[in-house]
Amino acid sequence: MYSTSRRALTRFSAQLRQRRAIRTSATSATVNDAEISHFSRLSSEWWDEGGEFSFLHRMNPVRVKFIQDKLVEVARDEAADGGESIQEGSVLRGLNVLDVGCGGGLLSESLARLGAKTVGIDASGSNIAIASLHASADPSFRLTSSSLPSASQPSTTAQNSLTYLHTTTDALLSPEPLPDSPLPPSIPRQFDVVTALEVLEHVSNPSHFLDTCASLVKPGGHLFISTMARTPLAYGLTILFAEHISGKVTKGTHTWSKYVNPEELVDFFKTYPTTETSPGRRWIEPSANSYIPRHQAEVKGLIYNPLKGAWHLGPRNSIAAAQCNYIFW
Amino acid sequence: MSIGSSPVVKDNISVALIEAGDLNKIQDWSMPTGSFSNRASSLTNASQDFLKRSGSWNHVDEQRTCGIEEMQVWDGVSDARITFTAEDLGAEAARNGMSRMTENLNLQRGLLRQLAQLPQVQLLQKTKVQSITRDSDDKQNWPLVYLDNGRVLRSRLLVGADGFNSPVRQFAGVSSYGWSYDTQAIVATLEHHARGAFEGPNTTAYQRFLPTGPIAFLPFSSTASSLVWSTRPHIAKALLACDPAVFSTMINAAFRLPAFSMRYLYDRILESQAAGQTITPAELQAEIMFREQAHGIEHLSTYSSLIRQAPPAGIGSPDSQSIPPLVTGLQPNTAASFPLRFNHAEVYIGEGKASRTVLVGDAAHTVHPLAGQGLNMGLSDVECLTRTVEQAVLHGGDIGSYTALLPYAQERYLANHVLMSAVDKLHKLYTTKLEPVVWARSVGLEVINELDSCEGGDHDVCWSPADHAGLTWLELCSQRRAEYICSG
Repeated sequence: MYSTSRRALTRFSAQLRQRRAIRTSATSATVNDAEISHFSRLSSEWWDEGGEFSFLHRMNPVRVKFIQDKLVEVARDEAADGGESIQEGSVLRGLNVLDVGCGGGLLSESLARLGAKTVGIDASGSNIAIASLHASADPSFRLTSSSLPSASQPSTTAQNSLTYLHTTTDALLSPEPLPDSPLPPSIPRQFDVVTALEVLEHVSNPSHFLDTCASLVKPGGHLFISTMARTPLAYGLTILFAEHISGKVTKGTHTWSKYVNPEELVDFFKTYPTTETSPGRRWIEPSANSYIPRHQAEVKGLIYNPLKGAWHLGPRNSIAAAQCNYIFW
Repeated sequence: MSIGSSPVVKDNISVALIEAGDLNKIQDWSMPTGSFSNRASSLTNASQDFLKRSGSWNHVDEQRTCGIEEMQVWDGVSDARITFTAEDLGAEAARNGMSRMTENLNLQRGLLRQLAQLPQVQLLQKTKVQSITRDSDDKQNWPLVYLDNGRVLRSRLLVGADGFNSPVRQFAGVSSYGWSYDTQAIVATLEHHARGAFEGPNTTAYQRFLPTGPIAFLPFSSTASSLVWSTRPHIAKALLACDPAVFSTMINAAFRLPAFSMRYLYDRILESQAAGQTITPAELQAEIMFREQAHGIEHLSTYSSLIRQAPPAGIGSPDSQSIPPLVTGLQPNTAASFPLRFNHAEVYIGEGKASRTVLVGDAAHTVHPLAGQGLNMGLSDVECLTRTVEQAVLHGGDIGSYTALLPYAQERYLANHVLMSAVDKLHKLYTTKLEPVVWARSVGLEVINELDSCEGGDHDVCWSPADHAGLTWLELCSQRRAEYICSG
C-alpha cells in the first residue's frame, strides 16, 4: 500500500510538472474509457436512493449547503453594503453553473431547483440519458438535453434551466463544436460556478482536468472540487469496507492510487496558472507555510456518521478532518 | 398549513389540502359562552409555541381555553397520590399554565382562519379521495390522487394526515403494529358549581386510576369541565344509556367511592339494563348511600357522591381541593364514546412503490388518552415535518425523496415510540388489582411525590422553563426521580 502510494505520488508530481497538452484531439485526455464503461453499467442505479449511490444521495444536501454558504460568504465580503440581503436560499439564482461529471444529475437538479442556470456534462452517454429521463418527470426544471429531441427544448437561459450534454471539459473549451455533440450556442464559454464533485478520482490526467475546469471558470467565479484523500483511512473506508466487506458499492468503482490529497490540490493551485503561460498571481498565494488564505481557498472534510446515515462538514482547513472525503473550494 | 405558512417554502411549493367534510361548518362554528364542545385536548406549551409561530394561535379564541395550573393524580385502589403545580416548572408555566385545555373545534376554526390567509394553500373541501394510484409510466413514482369531483392531482409529496384509517397509509402499503385496549373512552361536558370562596379557581386537572380505566376531569371554566372516562365497553354502553342524573352521580362516585364499591354500582346498572329498564336516580342514590355508610363516609362530607343542588358555602374541608367539584349535571348532547387502541405504523416514510408518502399524527400512531398526548404528538410531528421540508427546499432537494424525508422519521419515530410505550405500560400498570403491583405502584408514586416537597427547599430548581414546556405528568415524575438521584 505504501509503495503504491509513493509511486502514485511521484506519478502525480510528475504530471504536475508536465506542460499542458496541446488541444488537438483532446477528448480522451480527461476521460478514462474503463471508468466510463463502469459508470455506464451502473447508470440505472443512480436514482435508487437506497442502492449503489446512497452515500452520494446523503452527501448531496451537505455539499449544496457548502456551495451556498461559500457563495454567500464571498458575496457578502464583496458587497458594498455588507450584503445583509444576500441569503443562501437565493444566492444561486441566475448564476451560470457547470456541473462536470454530473452522473445521474444529483447535484445538477438541486442547483437548478435553487434557480441556477445549470449545465451538466458527463463523458458517459447513458448517465446523461438517465439524468435527462429523471429530470424530465419533474416540473421544477426547464430541461434541455442532448439525449432528448430538440423540438421540445425550452430556452437554456431561463432560471431553473437545466441542460445536459454528453461531452467533456475539453470539448467545451475547444473553439469549434465537435461534429458528434453539437453544443447549443447559448451555453456560456465560462461559468460563474464550476463544480467537479467526486470526479477527480476517476480521471486519468488530473492536472489537465483541473486545468480545463479552471479555464471554464469566469474571472471572479468559483471552482468546487470534491474527492477523496489518498490515505490508508480512505482505502479502509471507501474500498475495503464499502466495496469488499459490506458490498454497498460495486467493486472497482474506486481506485486508491487515483485519490488526490488535499495538500496536492492546494499545491496545484499555488502554482496555477503556471508561469510559462501567464505571468501574474496564482490562484492561491504560494507563501512558505501551509496557511490557506480564507478568501482564496478552503478545504473541508466530509465525515459520514453511520448511526444517523448523514454526512457532516469538518472544520475549515482541517486536514485531519479531510483524511477521507473532502470538498475543496 | 404549517408548510404553507413557512417563509422559506411558501414561494416554492404549492400545497393542496383535501378534506372530505364540510369545513364551512367548522369555520362558522360558535357556541355560547359557558357551553363547551365535548372533544377537547390539553395542549402542551411546546404545541402552543408551535401554533403561535405559525400564526394560528392568534385566531384561537383564548377566552374559551383554560390554563391548567395544577394536576392531581391518584390511585383508585390505594389512594396513593401525586400532585404537580405550575410553579414547579418555572415562570413561563406559572404564567401560562402547564398546558391549555382547548376545544378541538376552537383550534380547527383558528387553523382554518389562518389557512384563509395563505393563497399558496389550496383548500379542497367536501371532496373525497376516490383512489390513489401510481402512473405506470412514471419512473419517479409521483402519486396520482383521484378526487370524486373528477380532478386528478399529481403530487411531489403526499402527506397522510388523515387519521387512524388513513387511505394514504393503505396506499403506501405500510402495515401497523398495535392492539385494541378493549376500552371505550366516554367524553362529556360536565356542569358543576363554581369552587367556594376559600378554595382555588377551577384550574386543576384531576385523574383517578380505577381498575377499569382512568377517569379524568379537565377544567374549562369555573362551572364547566370536560370528562374523559376510559372504561370497559359494556360499562360505557350502560352508562351512556342511563339518565343524565344517574350518569352525573356515577361520575361523582367514580372520583370518591373506593374502587371496591364502584363494582357494586356497575353491577346494579348492568342488572337493570339486562332486565330491560334503566336504573332510576333514586335507586342509585339508595345504593350509594348504603355503600357510603359501609365506608363511613358522612352524608355532607367532600367524599359524598350524591348531587347537592346548593353551591358549596363556607370554608370547605382541608381536602376538598384534592377531588374535583361535585358534578350537578351534563351539558345536553355531549355524552359520547369512542374505542381506544394502541397503534404505530411500521414506518413513517413510504419506500419503493410507496415512495413520496409520509405519515403524521393519528395516521402514524394512536395512543391511550390517559396522558393527554395524542394531539400533542401529532403537532410535534407536523412541526418536525415542516422543518424537514424547509431544510430540503433550502438546499434544493426534492421534498418527496427518501433522503429529504429521512430526518423526520429519525427524529419522530423513536420519540413517539418511547412516549407511546410509556403510556401503554402505565395503563397496564394501573388496570391490575394484584396486591403486590398495587403496593409497588403506590409506594413508587408516594415516594416521587415526597421528593418534590423535601428536595425542593434544599437547592435551587435548576430546570429551565423552556425545557419543560412539553412535559406530561409522567415525564415530570421521571424528572423528579432523576433530580433526587443527582443530588443524593
